[in-house]
Amino acid sequence: MSLRETGTRLYNGETEIDFIGRWKRWFAISGVVILIGLLGLFVRGLNLGIDFKGGVSWQAPIGHASVSDVRTAVENAGVVAPTVQTLGTGGVTQVRVQAKTVKDNAKVEAAIKKVTGSTTVSHTEVGPSWGSEISHKAVRALIVFLVLVSLYIAVRFEWKMAAATLAALVHDILITVGIYAVFGLPVTPATVIAFLTILGYSIYDGIVVFDRVDENVKRAGASGSATYSDIVNESMNEVLMRTLNTSITALLPILSLLVIGSLVLGATSLEEFGTALFIGLLSGAYSSIFIASPSLALLKEREGRWVAVRRRLEGRGLASQTRLTPTTMAAEAGDGAAVTTAPSVARATIQPRARKKGKRR
Amino acid sequence: MRQRRTVSLVIITLLAFGALVGTLVVGNTPQLGLDLQGGVSVVLQPPKGTPKGTIDTAIGIIRNRVDALGVAEPQISREGSAVVVELPGVKNQQKAIDLIGTTAELRFRPVLGQIAPEGASTTTTTSTSTTSTTAAPGASSTTTSSTSTTSTTELKTTTRANNKADAQVILPSKDKQSRYVLGPAGSIGKDVSTARATVQTTGQWVVDLTMTSKGIDNFNKLAAICFAGGTTCPSVGSGGHGRVAIELDGIVESAPEIQTSSFKRDQIQISGSFTGREAKDLALVLRYGSLPVQLKKQTVETVSATLGKDSLHAGLVAGLIGTVLVLLYMILYYRILGLVVIAGMTIWSALNWSIISYLGVHNGLALSLSGVTGLVVSVGVTVDSYVVYFERLKDELRSGRTMRSAIDSAFKHSFRTVVIADTSAFMAAAVLYLLTVGPVRGFAFFLGLSTILDVVVAYFFKRPLVVLLGRWGLLQKSRFVGMHTTVVPETIRPGLRGTTP
Repeated sequence: MSLRETGTRLYNGETEIDFIGRWKRWFAISGVVILIGLLGLFVRGLNLGIDFKGGVSWQAPIGHASVSDVRTAVENAGVVAPTVQTLGTGGVTQVRVQAKTVKDNAKVEAAIKKVTGSTTVSHTEVGPSWGSEISHKAVRALIVFLVLVSLYIAVRFEWKMAAATLAALVHDILITVGIYAVFGLPVTPATVIAFLTILGYSIYDGIVVFDRVDENVKRAGASGSATYSDIVNESMNEVLMRTLNTSITALLPILSLLVIGSLVLGATSLEEFGTALFIGLLSGAYSSIFIASPSLALLKEREGRWVAVRRRLEGRGLASQTRLTPTTMAAEAGDGAAVTTAPSVARATIQPRARKKGKRR
Repeated sequence: MRQRRTVSLVIITLLAFGALVGTLVVGNTPQLGLDLQGGVSVVLQPPKGTPKGTIDTAIGIIRNRVDALGVAEPQISREGSAVVVELPGVKNQQKAIDLIGTTAELRFRPVLGQIAPEGASTTTTTSTSTTSTTAAPGASSTTTSSTSTTSTTELKTTTRANNKADAQVILPSKDKQSRYVLGPAGSIGKDVSTARATVQTTGQWVVDLTMTSKGIDNFNKLAAICFAGGTTCPSVGSGGHGRVAIELDGIVESAPEIQTSSFKRDQIQISGSFTGREAKDLALVLRYGSLPVQLKKQTVETVSATLGKDSLHAGLVAGLIGTVLVLLYMILYYRILGLVVIAGMTIWSALNWSIISYLGVHNGLALSLSGVTGLVVSVGVTVDSYVVYFERLKDELRSGRTMRSAIDSAFKHSFRTVVIADTSAFMAAAVLYLLTVGPVRGFAFFLGLSTILDVVVAYFFKRPLVVLLGRWGLLQKSRFVGMHTTVVPETIRPGLRGTTP
């Protein structure tokens, strides 16, 4: 299939990608990434910022001084084993000094001002117990959030959809934590909060799909003419463009924060926010398609009703067997209306776009 | 139905622009957070199990100290058990940090004289005392008038640094109407066991004070001196007795006249023309003094004004570019419907700006960098609800519906999806807001606010606008909505729309 044709199909919601049938592949990919991440977590641990461990940090424009100048200056001012690094590539380059404790803050600030020629120094000091306090609060917020969202989806749709969403969220958490551990990215409160918030947002995609599945099940599923996997697959393809577009529109502002805010203009806190949002969003977009939906199909296919449907359709050779043999993208030559001429009878009968008035809710 | 939609469109547009114009006319602008304008932020935490009243007193003390610093718009708030002090634009940052962290002490000092407040035109004054300390219960508590005269040279109020327990000091009264010249403290807060406000049978409010068994000796020594009315605690009225000032953190809370030379430790009563509130406040001050709360500094953050400005600049530029990119994408993809997104986002922004400015001015809501980030992220979330609607609309059109019925049906279904999705996003924001501390709440707050506005704009603006566009025939040509397939013309078989094509 040519690229253009793929684009057109995508544009018109006529793709036939088999999301469900290849669930083993998606799960395996995620499994490997998570495994590497967990390995990184145990070997390297997380690069926790001073907000979690406690400590002191100073920041100022570096001026004409070098990193080693600054290091010597603060060491002379009584700072033990400081970490000195520069931040931001564009705009004004900042220098950041971090240490475990400080005796005389005023003296250190004076030393930094003198060596960099800057008139102002920003300074952060965090007590050791504070970090564990906010970590606990974040974890508590996360758990409360997961419970609430699960309950909400269970009530609004059904508990199996809640379970699938939960699986996707846990997947996102594991992936993100893993990436932060492997790449040694700094974890700050901004990171944690940005990530937690993006979780709420990444459910968005999942809900769009589930909502359509729910609709299609009510319409076509009741007649027993399609397996649950087929319905989910069909729904996924129908809303694929929507999923892509929502992901793109969410990604653009975040990319802008990351690239323009932090790289070009050198705002480090924007970098922390942007990185967490970016990773969270990518993982969320992936999991809503490749984890949440297959999980749902796997759960539902075990229900007696759907087992019966599958058995009957398989007996007639009509089930698309997406669960067992992955079908490739159906590329029927000169196929203008892919759905109606698709080889699978099951697909042809779902036809969510050809709606009958009486069945609309 | 048609009219109602037009009305809703007009109303929300008027509302949004009315609010925006109002905001601009009044001159409300969002209050910038400390990380955007520079300043000091300190998070303090009391030990576990500290009573709420004690923390409130501690916050009151911090507020007094901060006011004395002359910070323009200090923010002192409780978040969970923590006390967050934010001082934007404060000049001497180190001094401010030291000031906030020190623990206040309660002192009983003999009153040597009463003078006019600092900077008053006259330095000689006559003032009236309205409180007295009596041996309770049963002892008659008389309200006495006291007159004191001071020298004509302006005396300076004692600075915080010089306000030592064993020094002679000049401190302002709580209502700032006068100042007291006070001798060295004879008794301090840890001598106090407890205090509570009670109402007498006469309806008069009094404060019952109980000292510790050790502390009563100190207190009685002071009481004896003041009762005698000697030079170290001169008599101030017709009764011939001196007064004892109750000082907390450099402020004289009350200065009752001593009516007995010796008190039993649990039979001390402070009476006067108290209102219930005043009596309770005084009792709280005494209780606080008995066990001053040790607020531990958990975080100290100073942001230089230049760093704040740079962050704000970066956040705004990044946000604008991000928004423009999203809107461009929408126009390229959805054509005329893309303009609906722009119109809707304009309404959304006008409402958002007005609300944030209003809350900034009236409720002290500060727009921090995390808030700016939250807003930028919410642009994406908001545009998503348009995407969901438009994709659904295209679905319906492709299935052979006419534009008119497709618009209604698509809205019905996509709105359901948007509400569910926004609800979960809002839940995330609410949980974060309620369960976390510090500037991170800003992020959650602005995201939550934007989510609500999204639903409002979707229902009251997006829906009627698309309906109207459909009516006006602007959406008839498929390429105007970004579709390749042909839209069924409105005129063909209108009676059968909705049936299987």
